[in-house]
Amino acid sequence: MSNIKVGATLYCWTNEYATGRLSFADIVREAAKIGCEGYEVVATQMIPSYPYISDEFLDEVHRLADETGIAPVSYGANCDRGMLPDRNLTEDEMVNQGIIDIQSAHRLGCHVMRAQYLMGPNVLERLEPYARMYDVKVGIEIHNPETPSTPIIREYEAMMERVGSPYIGFVPDFGCFATKPNKPYWDQALANGAPLELLEMAAQMRYDGVPMEEAQARLAAAGANGAVFGAFSGMYGFVQFSKEPDFEGLKRIMKHCVHFHGKFHYLYENGEEASIPYDDVVGIIRDSDYEGYIVGEYENHTGVGTTEMTRRCVEKIKKVIGR
Amino acid sequence: MAFAMRMNFVPTIVDGSLRHLYVDGEKAGFQFEARLAYYRGHYLSDVDEFWVSVDGVKYDPAITTFGINGKDLPGAMLNRCASEFWKLLEPAKIKVHLPGGLPEGEHEIDLHLMMRVPYLPLPGGDSDHSYMPLDSCGQAKLTIHD
Repeated sequence: MSNIKVGATLYCWTNEYATGRLSFADIVREAAKIGCEGYEVVATQMIPSYPYISDEFLDEVHRLADETGIAPVSYGANCDRGMLPDRNLTEDEMVNQGIIDIQSAHRLGCHVMRAQYLMGPNVLERLEPYARMYDVKVGIEIHNPETPSTPIIREYEAMMERVGSPYIGFVPDFGCFATKPNKPYWDQALANGAPLELLEMAAQMRYDGVPMEEAQARLAAAGANGAVFGAFSGMYGFVQFSKEPDFEGLKRIMKHCVHFHGKFHYLYENGEEASIPYDDVVGIIRDSDYEGYIVGEYENHTGVGTTEMTRRCVEKIKKVIGR
Repeated sequence: MAFAMRMNFVPTIVDGSLRHLYVDGEKAGFQFEARLAYYRGHYLSDVDEFWVSVDGVKYDPAITTFGINGKDLPGAMLNRCASEFWKLLEPAKIKVHLPGGLPEGEHEIDLHLMMRVPYLPLPGGDSDHSYMPLDSCGQAKLTIHD
């Protein structure tokens, strides 16, 4: 039987944070107010002493935990493989950075760390003893356009099967199960003068699996403008969608899942996400043996209505898991 | 130019930040502040191109410094600064070390700052080291003050 807790990543409030309208402390309070039981922090975004945790920041996190009752549960790490000007980081260098990230996650009290697939299965395997030592489960994020069954994720899965450790696994992002075009991008394209029939044509080609170059050529021939191509690049980029999302893949990898990102772009008042089938995805997690968090992740940095939108997400997840 | 990422949460060049630098009472150059046009911070080694021009005059990176984390880092060597992390909320103090400095009044500041998003490889890129460009350039008219 599953045992699921619900939180949010503070990344939801990116706009408010970047513009200075809300501080880190304000955002933790917003998360607590809407019923989060813990939060994720994207380290490169909100940790002032990144990649380390200063005494000052740790004190603030502890003070806020006393005040609000919620604490960081997941450390969002990046894999900046391309951070040197002339070459990629080597595996040794990525292991080095991964150890520092695990130490920082541990110091913050997080038992989960989101990692990114660019590190590769060897690096994750080499981090396993550190994940174990610091009691921080390291999960590779599965982000659209990856799914649980794309080749790189299968490579990771094979390694995990071989190693058999509960300390390395996956962090699926709900966005990889999208069944419809991203609503905010679609609406923005319409507002910027994209003809509806050309957006529909683009979406249909995505459903039909038309290769990108051919789809682009057909749109151009039909007279598509920049607004159409803006939405189109998402459809073939990081907000892909399919009529047959990879639910079987999710069920297959459930035993390796250490955390979830409840990605959402737009939730209606009734809790339905405009393009991501929350009932199905959360239902699969609920019906598994998963123990851990699902954190809502709002990706639509308009800075308008973030707290309300995230509240809908938290409530929706709680409703589906029967709480 | 090809597509580059950019997130304009705040103006890149901080309003009101242009000021004279002095050494022993003489003008020694000028300084202004800049914010990163993205949703997270970056190591300075992600900088691919950096220069400053004012009123159409381009200054050699060799006479600039990029001030973060309490240090003035060498403008011509930013891509070697692989452990200097530029935080999202920290305005960088960009200095041009120029004996005599700038005249009083309003100046057109043009910051050229192209970076890499080091976790986003470009699909179909030229090499396995092709990453999404990040445009953190900025232009602003600022009045210089002490």
